[in-house]
Amino acid sequence: MLNDIKILMKSLSDIDVRIMLCKSAFEWELLAKKYNALRDEIEAFCASGLPEDVEKALDKTRAYLVEKRGELPPLDLSDFFK
Amino acid sequence: MGLIKNIGNAVKNEVRDYLLKIVEAENEAPKNPEAENVQKPAETKAGQPKVEEKPVVKEEKVQPEKVEEVEKVAEKPRKKEIYPISNDLEFVRVSYKKGQDSVIIPKELAELIKMLPLDEYACFVKLYCFVLEQKKNYGYWGGTLKRRIGLDQLTTSEFEELGSNLAAYGLLLLEQLTENQKTFVLYVPFDEDTMVKLSTAKKPEKKPEKPVKKPAPKPAPKAKAEPEPEEETQRAEDIPGKPVEGMENDEMYKSYKTFVSLEIDKAKMRVGRANFDKIYMEAVKYIDKKYGFKVLSDSDKFKEYLTNYYISAFDIPTFENWKKSKG
Repeated sequence: MLNDIKILMKSLSDIDVRIMLCKSAFEWELLAKKYNALRDEIEAFCASGLPEDVEKALDKTRAYLVEKRGELPPLDLSDFFK
Repeated sequence: MGLIKNIGNAVKNEVRDYLLKIVEAENEAPKNPEAENVQKPAETKAGQPKVEEKPVVKEEKVQPEKVEEVEKVAEKPRKKEIYPISNDLEFVRVSYKKGQDSVIIPKELAELIKMLPLDEYACFVKLYCFVLEQKKNYGYWGGTLKRRIGLDQLTTSEFEELGSNLAAYGLLLLEQLTENQKTFVLYVPFDEDTMVKLSTAKKPEKKPEKPVKKPAPKPAPKAKAEPEPEEETQRAEDIPGKPVEGMENDEMYKSYKTFVSLEIDKAKMRVGRANFDKIYMEAVKYIDKKYGFKVLSDSDKFKEYLTNYYISAFDIPTFENWKKSKG
């Protein structure tokens, strides 16, 4: 079980690294989807409740993602108005 | 008899010379109006020394009528009626999928615009270049546009006239949004590969006949000046500016969406790029906090919430308020 959670946490830290390298909204969306899937996986794995450090790591990655989204060029809304 | 004949010939010559000078003076700025009066007696003297005063008297009688005639001739082309080059053009608001490296005028369009007079042609081409640059064929019509397309030397009325002429030729659609705001849609042939169709703009003739549809469902509430975090339980359907059921196809709502799009663009220019980026960052944080992270990764929902945020942040009227202001 410890090994499994370590693998999951490794995936999370991979996402952290990729966030730093992310330069487009498209890349960001892929990362966000990966993060969501990973979070679901971790939550399913720790059905009895997330350990504190894991929860903190997940929240930290989420904060990174949000921050990165804000740093990327503003979304072009022109196609939204069709 | 000979004397009278000579006087008659002298008068004819004088009148002809005078009219030629008036026509020249119309084309150029009048340099020295007195010069003509000084020259004429001298010329007359050379030909007819004895009758130098009489032709001048006759000339004064003839002059006003002839001048009027010349002015009438000069004014006639300005008053000519403009007929549309084509009546069946469909005005579609489009956005270009990506920025264009070159300005390519499709043959179909080139065939149409080559029939325009020089000024209108130049204005159309400048607008066309601008449209490609901003990646959409619509926007606000006014002083800013005049400056941005490089027609700053024109007065507002001249620019307005060019716009209305282009509209009369059927290659531009001008829509009076409010008392002071006008929008334009430039005709561009639709190309699926490079463009995305946003909405179809209606021609002004149809405008008065357009029925004002009112959406049956409950209207969306007013936008708040500042988003309030305590409204955690607010339903997605209650978002200001979000279409309620059955409203998506409403012409009014389509116009409203265009209006919002233009207002956001305007706000972007007003606050500057750096500030707009900050506002965007705040919007992202707010949306994440209020609606959850999954909304951020859902492109459509995110755009919807982001638009809503801009409507609040930039004090853009809600659909209901906008509709009321339109009357």
